[in-house]
Amino acid sequence: MTITLSVAVLLAIVLIFLLSDDPGRTIYYFFAGPFINRYYLGNLLNSAIPLVFAGLGIAVAFSSSAFNLGGEGQVYAGALVTAAVCLALPDTNGFIGGIAAVLAGVITGAVLAGISGYFKMKWNTDLLISSFLISAAVVLIVNFLITGPLDDPASSLLATPKIAEQYRLLRIFKPSKLNISIVFSIVAAIAVYTFMYHTHRGYEMRICGLNPDFARYGGVNVNTYLVLPMILSGALHGLGGGLAVTGTHYMALKEFTFGVGWNGIAVALIAKNHPLGVIPAALFFAYLDAGAKAAMLHSDVTFEIAAIIQSVIFYLVTAQAIFSFVKYRQRVS
Amino acid sequence: MPSVDMREICKYYPESGVKANDYVDLSVKKTEIHAIVGENGAGKTTLMNILYGLERADSGRICLDGEEVVIRNPRDAVRLGIGMVHQHFKLIRPFTIAENVTLAMEQRKYGVLLDRREAWKATEKVIADFGFDLDPGAKIADLTAGQMQQVEIVKILYRHADVLILDEPTSVLAEQQIRTLFDTLKNLTCLGKTIIIISHKLDEVMSIADRVTVMRKGKSTAVRNTDEVDDKELSRLMIGKGITYGFKRDASVPGEPVLALYNVSVAERTGHRPLLDNVSFSVRAGEIVGLTGVAGNGLEELEEVVNGLRKVDSGRIEHRGLDVTNASSYFLREQGMAYVPSDRLRRGSSLSSSVLENLIITSRRSFLNRGFFRRKAMEKFGREILKHYSIDTDLYVPMGTLSGGSIQKIILSRELSAQSDFIMFSDPTWGLDVASAEYIYSRILECRRSRAAILLISNDLDEVLGLSDRLMVMHRGKVVGVFENDGTLSKETIGEYILGLRNDFKGDAGNDGQATMGRGDGNGGGIDDNVVGGGSSRDCSDLSPE
Repeated sequence: MTITLSVAVLLAIVLIFLLSDDPGRTIYYFFAGPFINRYYLGNLLNSAIPLVFAGLGIAVAFSSSAFNLGGEGQVYAGALVTAAVCLALPDTNGFIGGIAAVLAGVITGAVLAGISGYFKMKWNTDLLISSFLISAAVVLIVNFLITGPLDDPASSLLATPKIAEQYRLLRIFKPSKLNISIVFSIVAAIAVYTFMYHTHRGYEMRICGLNPDFARYGGVNVNTYLVLPMILSGALHGLGGGLAVTGTHYMALKEFTFGVGWNGIAVALIAKNHPLGVIPAALFFAYLDAGAKAAMLHSDVTFEIAAIIQSVIFYLVTAQAIFSFVKYRQRVS
Repeated sequence: MPSVDMREICKYYPESGVKANDYVDLSVKKTEIHAIVGENGAGKTTLMNILYGLERADSGRICLDGEEVVIRNPRDAVRLGIGMVHQHFKLIRPFTIAENVTLAMEQRKYGVLLDRREAWKATEKVIADFGFDLDPGAKIADLTAGQMQQVEIVKILYRHADVLILDEPTSVLAEQQIRTLFDTLKNLTCLGKTIIIISHKLDEVMSIADRVTVMRKGKSTAVRNTDEVDDKELSRLMIGKGITYGFKRDASVPGEPVLALYNVSVAERTGHRPLLDNVSFSVRAGEIVGLTGVAGNGLEELEEVVNGLRKVDSGRIEHRGLDVTNASSYFLREQGMAYVPSDRLRRGSSLSSSVLENLIITSRRSFLNRGFFRRKAMEKFGREILKHYSIDTDLYVPMGTLSGGSIQKIILSRELSAQSDFIMFSDPTWGLDVASAEYIYSRILECRRSRAAILLISNDLDEVLGLSDRLMVMHRGKVVGVFENDGTLSKETIGEYILGLRNDFKGDAGNDGQATMGRGDGNGGGIDDNVVGGGSSRDCSDLSPE
């Protein structure tokens, strides 16, 4: 991993020298940019939060061989439903209403992914395809709702109105958007880890995913565990979406979660599906993103160039993760 | 002059340490039907895979029509006029017969377009030339097993094969289809084709083949003309002399019946014949009941039925008098029934999970404290097992990185540590080295000493003969023989039952004078337990579960 990372950084520097007129400045902002002030640092940490939730959702699913490719729609729909519940209850107590709203988002995600799991159990449909297709349709429906019935006519943004003050989560690192949901994300990672590796349900779930024949032989009800990992995965995605609304944006914007579902897969891959590994993996991902943004603002690189450099590093690291995963699989079989 | 001449073929599998072919000779004359017979694992299929280029021999020569050839892959074999019909058909079900037959040798129009008319015509010609009755436009999915096999043969003939290899061609066919196949094969030899057929069904070999090569434990042991040999001699050649193990089975007085099956039947989905046909027996505390037979005769199904992995269509299974018919695996385990499966890599263990996670699968609930695992207790349990069974590995090593012997030891230790009153072992030593096998035998005998009821399902005759107190033979889903293993039982006798040469064990009282019959309890599901042949006939009342 160290070698891969050094090669990636080296390659990024080479690219910057090729593409930037002021490489020194670009390199500085690309790698150190996220740390030069509280605002950047806070936003870096904040942008890691939805990645942690999506990464956890994927880790739960993948380590049980439930391939959830619908993270995108689950995050997005979870966010919209949370925003909608908040908007429907403008005067409720912040604590109760907030929990109700986020819970509604969680359930939305769980149901969306659970449908795929149910289809798999009932008709043995392919999880990859059903979860992806459901998500693709859901994204369009949410787009319609945000730009149509739930659009705020008073704002020029393609977004819902802002949620009431009492639902907004505490900002803990002003002026950045970092809020207390970062604590929730760490708690969630620990909870998922505990569930998967320290409870018998988590154990049975993983065994079913790894080898259903062995699970059946050992007296595990395999059918239950076709649906459960998908429900958990969808719930975590929905939670990530809901907290993005109450913690960061205070509204649901059109396509504001764009890419989180896919990036969650990358995060889980780098973390090798280990729930606690998801946190550093998400931070690394968020750091690359923040560095690219800082370099764009403070140096001469354009969005495209920043994206290229970011992808080079990212592909190398992911390739390494996939490679070691495949090698592990080959070794054990 | 022989059409196919294989000399001193050797093939060694280093992963499993098996000498699949050990200086094997095979000589097949032109236009004859030549059978290769032998037990499971005798090396028949390996030899044919080498001839068809699916595998390469480590050493040895292959001559076709007197000329030495090198066969690197199936394409070489096809070019040399060799074709093979595999035991499991390799056809594309949604495609038509013509599409399957011409696959990879398609007729083309303008170099790129598929010429369906031409494919159709060519297929029709092969079908007509060799006297088949098939419609080139029919979809594979709509055909019977017998017709699919004909398509496989047509496919080979379309590729101008002169030598046809058929691997266990009758195993998937019904009686009538077998007769059609044999007519086809005879017809093909008249048209100048040479046929090699792999089989372990001696009656079929006797009726179809001109000559037969016998293989045993990787060696070719005899070549005979079928008109100069009888099936009894063939079975003796196939099975060979027994071997003696380094363990001693001391006397044991069986106690109460622990597991009993009453007329258990399982139907096959396609409905040719039942997979299990009125199987009744019991296993008593402190005895080892051996169950043997050739693969495909119901052993696998029985293994699954007893573990609750397969539902029975009729009949009853009792564990200590409790009806456990069609109970779940979980329930059976709770009842104290342990099981060491034959498929140790897929069913018996999870290779990508750790040793500890493999060890706790059956006892997982005993480590729970309010839904959470007590990790310390779990690790203590795991370490104690490893120590007690002297398995040299770490708890957190992935199972798949261990050797086959260690994996089986871990599975065995897990199942034995449950202190069950019934343990089923299925092929507990296949692929293991002698030391590991001896270790496992000593553990099985230890279970017997601690008064567990043991069902040993095995394809290995020596193993079953060495360990069992009582021995049952299955053929075509039926129990065709039950023997007391008192030391006088010979391997040859059992072999005859295994291969279906003798079938004097019937529900109706002994039809050749040897069989006696006992009847257990009434209620229509009574148990029929017979003792026949070989060993001493005995009073059957103590074979019944009551």
